[in-house]
Amino acid sequence: MGSERAEEPIHIVYSDEENVLDEEERNSRLFEDLEPASWINDEDTDVTTFFHRVDSDQIIYEAKKKRCKMIGKYVMGDLLGEGSYGKVKEVLDSETLCRKAVKILKKRKLRRIPNGEQNVQREIVLLKKLQHPNVIGLLDVLVNDEKEKMYLVMEFCVGGLQDMLESTPKKRFPLWQAHGYFCQLMDGLQYLHSQRIIHKDIKPGNLLLTLSGILKISDLGVAEALDFFAEDDTCYTGQGSPAFQPPEIANGHEKFLGFKVDIWSSGVTLYNITTGLYPFEGDNIFRLFENIGKGEYVIPDEIENPLRDLLHGMLQKDANDRFTLQQIRQHPWFLRKPPQTLEEVPIPPLRGDELHNMTVLPYLMDYHYVEDPASGQPQYYTEHERNAWAERGEQDTYPTECYPREWADQLGDLKSKESSPKKFQDDVGYGNSNKYHGDDEMETIADSTKRKTKRRPTSCISVKKFPPCKQS
Amino acid sequence: MPLFGKSQKSPAEVVKALKEAVSALERGDKKAEKAQEDVSKNLLLMKNMLYGTSDAEPQTDIMVAQLAQELYNSNLLLLLIQNLNRIDFEGKKDVAQVFNNILRRQIGTRSPTVEYICTKPEILFTLMRGYEQQEIALNCGTMLRECARYEALAKIMLYSEDFFNFFRYVEVSTFDIASDAFSTFKELLTRHKMLCAEFLELNYDKVFSHYQRLLNSENYVTRRQSLKLLGELLLDRHNFTVMTRYISNPDNLKLMMNMLKEKSRNIQFEAFHVFKVFVANPNKPKPILEILLRNQDKLVEFLTRFHTDRSEDEQFNDEKAYLIKQIKELKPLPDH
Repeated sequence: MGSERAEEPIHIVYSDEENVLDEEERNSRLFEDLEPASWINDEDTDVTTFFHRVDSDQIIYEAKKKRCKMIGKYVMGDLLGEGSYGKVKEVLDSETLCRKAVKILKKRKLRRIPNGEQNVQREIVLLKKLQHPNVIGLLDVLVNDEKEKMYLVMEFCVGGLQDMLESTPKKRFPLWQAHGYFCQLMDGLQYLHSQRIIHKDIKPGNLLLTLSGILKISDLGVAEALDFFAEDDTCYTGQGSPAFQPPEIANGHEKFLGFKVDIWSSGVTLYNITTGLYPFEGDNIFRLFENIGKGEYVIPDEIENPLRDLLHGMLQKDANDRFTLQQIRQHPWFLRKPPQTLEEVPIPPLRGDELHNMTVLPYLMDYHYVEDPASGQPQYYTEHERNAWAERGEQDTYPTECYPREWADQLGDLKSKESSPKKFQDDVGYGNSNKYHGDDEMETIADSTKRKTKRRPTSCISVKKFPPCKQS
Repeated sequence: MPLFGKSQKSPAEVVKALKEAVSALERGDKKAEKAQEDVSKNLLLMKNMLYGTSDAEPQTDIMVAQLAQELYNSNLLLLLIQNLNRIDFEGKKDVAQVFNNILRRQIGTRSPTVEYICTKPEILFTLMRGYEQQEIALNCGTMLRECARYEALAKIMLYSEDFFNFFRYVEVSTFDIASDAFSTFKELLTRHKMLCAEFLELNYDKVFSHYQRLLNSENYVTRRQSLKLLGELLLDRHNFTVMTRYISNPDNLKLMMNMLKEKSRNIQFEAFHVFKVFVANPNKPKPILEILLRNQDKLVEFLTRFHTDRSEDEQFNDEKAYLIKQIKELKPLPDH
């Protein structure tokens, strides 16, 4: 450990529980647990040769540049979200000037997910032939073999039902709002079923919304297309989200009726968005499946009859007794729009922007109005300031103020003195670490043996600066 | 009472006045001009009650309920539709707007106007026959499609004799009427999946003998649109039984093979999507198999050169490759 340490003049201690720690970090955490006062003032101990105490206003970050980047005809914007398969960013189609979203898939990441590559291929094949207002549209697929990346250009959505639920105190929608989403879900599902597709992973997290409030069923990663001449909808595999699985899957039946699986998970979804609860819970997946397998659940008293009856119909333990799509569509609760009494739950703001403005614009501004990006004065801010923004709830906003020149000079000095080998990736970051908005261009030059999962903002001081990557 | 402008008429009064005016128009006596004016005026009043104006809100629910009730009792909706051709241009549009608004009205889970029309199916039949008159065809079309959203009304229309007139309407020489009729026709055959599947199964022979004529139409648009709709219907899983029946008839296969050779590339392409089902069928009846075998070499050669410029359409190329492979591997059934 000693020799490694010595190369690093300053080490900054972070405490972010969510991150996977590498060895270095784990070691530093050992020291963090000590009471600082007991050793930090003791000049004679060896420890202080490794660790200097750094005040939060001494740690400097460089504000990230909005450097314009294009993938095919699409201008990249900010991050919209992150899933297990990769990032989703906003893009602008430079030919039609329409907002789109792009799902960036890295082959490296996919390989580590069971069936990852297969699922993506399947999703692409399925999505390509589907066209319905309530099913997410796949518009374009771009592949960069060199970087082992795949870009799926999709319709632009501003958020999902799951994020909306989480933004409310009771984690549920007013009935009229839930009704609107549910009707759209049933329309989309009817279409999928008419195309012989069983989604198998219906849940609020997979239901997205456009700016105009149109619901889009997304994520067909585990969906199954029935054979064209299949007599019925028998399926043999299910790999959706556990809490939304029906008893026949929880009980491990060898085969089951596919369409009824989607009915069940739509039932759990409806239960969830109207009550804020789940019909079945369990400390672990075995308990959960045990509970689902029994098929016993309670609907809260506040849910009144037409809805209560519909939920019971959709959450029938025996798939043969469970409602069909037609029965749901004829159900009194489906037919009647509940009165609009409570206020609508809005789509939560993205990085403080309630209006969900187009995020591609700053990149275009940079491209068109900054003549020579190299001469542009970089912006710096300190850990102290970053914390202050975080307290004010602006942790995800970009700093716009300019910082004193000294910072830049000081930083330049530090950099020129630094001579350690290129050991760290150029992660000039900001924001809190689990919402990292890095430029994925940087990734390719990063030492890929380490730290591929979530990355934290890294101070300029301890980091060797790399020249920014050129666009492909 | 306000000094200027008329006092607010009650729904009952408006309905009564409108009914008298329409009746006068129907009789066509000397006062026709006056009657026309009264019809327009009262229709506008009625429309404003339902939709409001730029400076007035729509009427309260109670007033709307009264108006609906009066409309049902007086049978005015049917009268308006029967005399639609006599009403002036703006008036025709007002009728359609009033009709559609009243139709959408809900009390709880009930739709009273839908229930009312179920008891007066003559309204639907009159609307469907509206396609025969150029000047009211499009107005009737908007009302029909609103009706088709309700399963009960769609059912009445599908199962009526008048439905088969659509096979004629979609081919009329006036393009906008033909395409309006086609969209209503398509709506009726695709909107309510179970209802449509059942209808097609029960009336298979009649529907598809009529449909055959559309596919053989002189009119390019009719041929292309009907072929596309046929593909959609057969590929929809709800129509599984109809599909299996359709693909076991050798005449249908012959028709599709001929359409594959049509001059229009679009028709060729749509025909491909129906043709592929015949070939992919794992249980091909003997006559179908025989036709394919008789043309085995020609089909392979034809498909190999078929739409080769669609190189970026992966799905199409996969399907084409699959078909070629299937046809190459075809073997005659063993003789008994």
